[in-house]
Amino acid sequence: MNDRSGSASAKRASRDALFRACGYGLDKLLLLALLGSVCLFVFYPMLCILLRSFQGGGSFGTGAYQAVWEQYRVNLWNSIFVGALTAVFCTILSVSTALFIATRRGWVRLLCMGLLLITMVSPPFVSSLAYIQLYGRRGWITYRLLHLSWDPYNCWGVIWMQSISFVPLNALFLGGILSKLDGGSLQAARDLGASPAAILRDIVLPLMRPGILVSLLLSFVRSLADFGTPVIIGGRFSTIASEIYLQLVGYSNLEKASAMNMFLLLPSIAAFFLYRYLLRQSDRLTEGSRGRQEGLELKLSRCGPMGAAAIGVSMLFFGMMVLQYGCIFLSGFLKSTRGKYAFTTRYLEQLLKYDASTMLRSIWYALIVSLAGTLFAILFSYYMERRHVPGRSFFDCLVTLPYMLPGTCFGIGYILAFNSQPLKLTGTAVIVLANMLFKQLPTCTKICTATLTQVPESLERAARDLGGGPFAVMRDVILPSLRPAFLSCFVYNFSSSMTTAGAILFLINPGKKLAVFKLFDAVYAGDYALASLISTLIIVIVLAVEGLAYLISWKAARPRVS
Amino acid sequence: MYLELSHLKKRFGEKEVVQDLSLSLERGELLCILGSSGCGKTTTLNMIGGFLAPDGGTIRLDGQDITALPPERRPVTTVFQSYSLFPHMSVLQNVMYGLKFQSCGKAAAREKGMKYLDMVGLTDYAGARIHEISGGQQQRVALARALIVEPKLCLLDEPFCNLDAALRVKMRAELKKLQRELDMTMVFVTHDQEEAMILSDSMAIMEQGRLIQNDTPYHIYRHPAGDFVKEFLNLDELVWKEDGTMMKIIKKPDAPEGERI
Repeated sequence: MNDRSGSASAKRASRDALFRACGYGLDKLLLLALLGSVCLFVFYPMLCILLRSFQGGGSFGTGAYQAVWEQYRVNLWNSIFVGALTAVFCTILSVSTALFIATRRGWVRLLCMGLLLITMVSPPFVSSLAYIQLYGRRGWITYRLLHLSWDPYNCWGVIWMQSISFVPLNALFLGGILSKLDGGSLQAARDLGASPAAILRDIVLPLMRPGILVSLLLSFVRSLADFGTPVIIGGRFSTIASEIYLQLVGYSNLEKASAMNMFLLLPSIAAFFLYRYLLRQSDRLTEGSRGRQEGLELKLSRCGPMGAAAIGVSMLFFGMMVLQYGCIFLSGFLKSTRGKYAFTTRYLEQLLKYDASTMLRSIWYALIVSLAGTLFAILFSYYMERRHVPGRSFFDCLVTLPYMLPGTCFGIGYILAFNSQPLKLTGTAVIVLANMLFKQLPTCTKICTATLTQVPESLERAARDLGGGPFAVMRDVILPSLRPAFLSCFVYNFSSSMTTAGAILFLINPGKKLAVFKLFDAVYAGDYALASLISTLIIVIVLAVEGLAYLISWKAARPRVS
Repeated sequence: MYLELSHLKKRFGEKEVVQDLSLSLERGELLCILGSSGCGKTTTLNMIGGFLAPDGGTIRLDGQDITALPPERRPVTTVFQSYSLFPHMSVLQNVMYGLKFQSCGKAAAREKGMKYLDMVGLTDYAGARIHEISGGQQQRVALARALIVEPKLCLLDEPFCNLDAALRVKMRAELKKLQRELDMTMVFVTHDQEEAMILSDSMAIMEQGRLIQNDTPYHIYRHPAGDFVKEFLNLDELVWKEDGTMMKIIKKPDAPEGERI
């Protein structure tokens, strides 16, 4: 050893120490920033709602609750009635559809998946919009085809439309469970003499049971929180959610709206815990299965009456979907003069002329939320999963809270929390972006955590063992393995940001509208052609951006051999 | 012959997985199909069980041609490699499931279920859930479930490969005893030479989709059909009793480093 190498290594050691100290500080700072923003943007707004709801009727107390209970008991029952029926109808549709898709292969399966994908990226009011155009007072089917005159604005329309529009998510969820079913169990049952009908009854449906209950639960909660459908096609029929919308937009009565929200909040939270329990049960039933297969080895057509019913119901659903989207895509380009239709691009020109900035702003916001939200989710799940942060379960719970909150509730919380100095954010873009980000964070964190738990910790240790520091571990082990999660989060964030309306409707600055807001306005004002066109555009944009994202990640993931 | 496979063929795309396979088995005997992975043994088993349709050839069982019958109508049951027990049912419900499709009353089915559970020593676990019992116990449940319907033929697809060595030896003895007691005809697929030697009345050695040799273990030991069989079975390690049953396997130490060069 000579002197020069000795001093060089000492220098390197001191530089390493400095680097480590900086890294350590940065690390802690980052963690604090993450946790702090979760508290600020999730916990604080919820606290504000809770406090405000006790301030109705002049003094601190349960005055607002009593008023709501007296005045809106009918709405409460309406909500529960609609929610329960929607849950049942929607689940029947979803189970049939999931079974149909799982047992099919080839182009039928692809076509059905494609339809579900389109419905997944559709803005929320599409089915109501199509409903009015197809079955309304001047509807294509009820009026022009069947010459009926009837009033479509009632609770059955709401129930039917909610059922239809919640199906895709449930069907995809149930499809996930079906793809995890142990093909061996089906084979074993067949081997012991069970007919296809018996297999469906004894094996497939019982194994789906937790999933079916989850579908019931989620549909119920989503129906409770949905205000768009009853506002648009409920007519004189109103639920708690639609009344909240009215109180807020019509009368700006924040106390009442807060108290009414608490009525929605409690069942949602209860449902959430039940949901977590059911998911665990479902995982237990499918664990140790033989893994993914192409499709379920079962012919629905040979499954007796139950199989036939499943086929019939799913055909009904897909038929409705085709009608609905056909109607939406067409009516943006059709002009009706005295009952005759002609192709026109007039509406498109109008839209591009007056509302191009709205569309661009939507895309811009969605991109920001997608990138920021995905990064946030990755970092957050990394700290939670690998760093054993104190109070982990509390923060886990906090970050999942927005998942169970009705959108209106989360929106009102933001209005209450950020309406005064020093945190005056109302009217700015930040409040809208933050609201989207934190509303979508639970799903993203879940995706990232699921991926992270599949990267064994020994891989990190191996990188450390071979001489990599914490940053090398992050760069070479954690981030590459999160690539698929990144893509899923990005796609989910983007489509949600482009299509969700719930919370944003209350937060948006009238001068800076977003596409979904514009759509709601157009539907509410009866401007159906414009509304259809905006829906079509949103669908096309989301599909295009998602396609692009998949393309880029596919290109990047191809092994480079040089 | 009780079970007769004649000229069975199966190809997946370009690959001929089973080539012109003919085998036969007497009633009450246990046939081991032995071979390394990818030799076509599991494919053969799936064709006998009805889960794969052969591209050519016939399968006859007890004088009946069963080649075209679907699995639910074949008098054949399978003990699957991963057991494939129904996770939402109790141990007893699993065992009783096959009886649902035979004209058998509820009470009688229950009684028979308990009898078969007793046979595999699991009466105490009748009400337990599948995920609550151990791997060896799951194996026994799978065995009882396959045997309770009194099939003409029971197929076992590497049933012991998920068990640890000690348990495997124990289960082998139990299986052999059960098979003798019930006079059950069985086809057992394995890649474990030792297991095949100990269990089988008749042994079929497969390699790349072809049958190399089919005989009793003792005959194969005495007259192995070529070097492949000799090497595959490690025949030098076996010691036999006078009556032709195998006594034990001696693992010879490897030659020391220096000598090998």
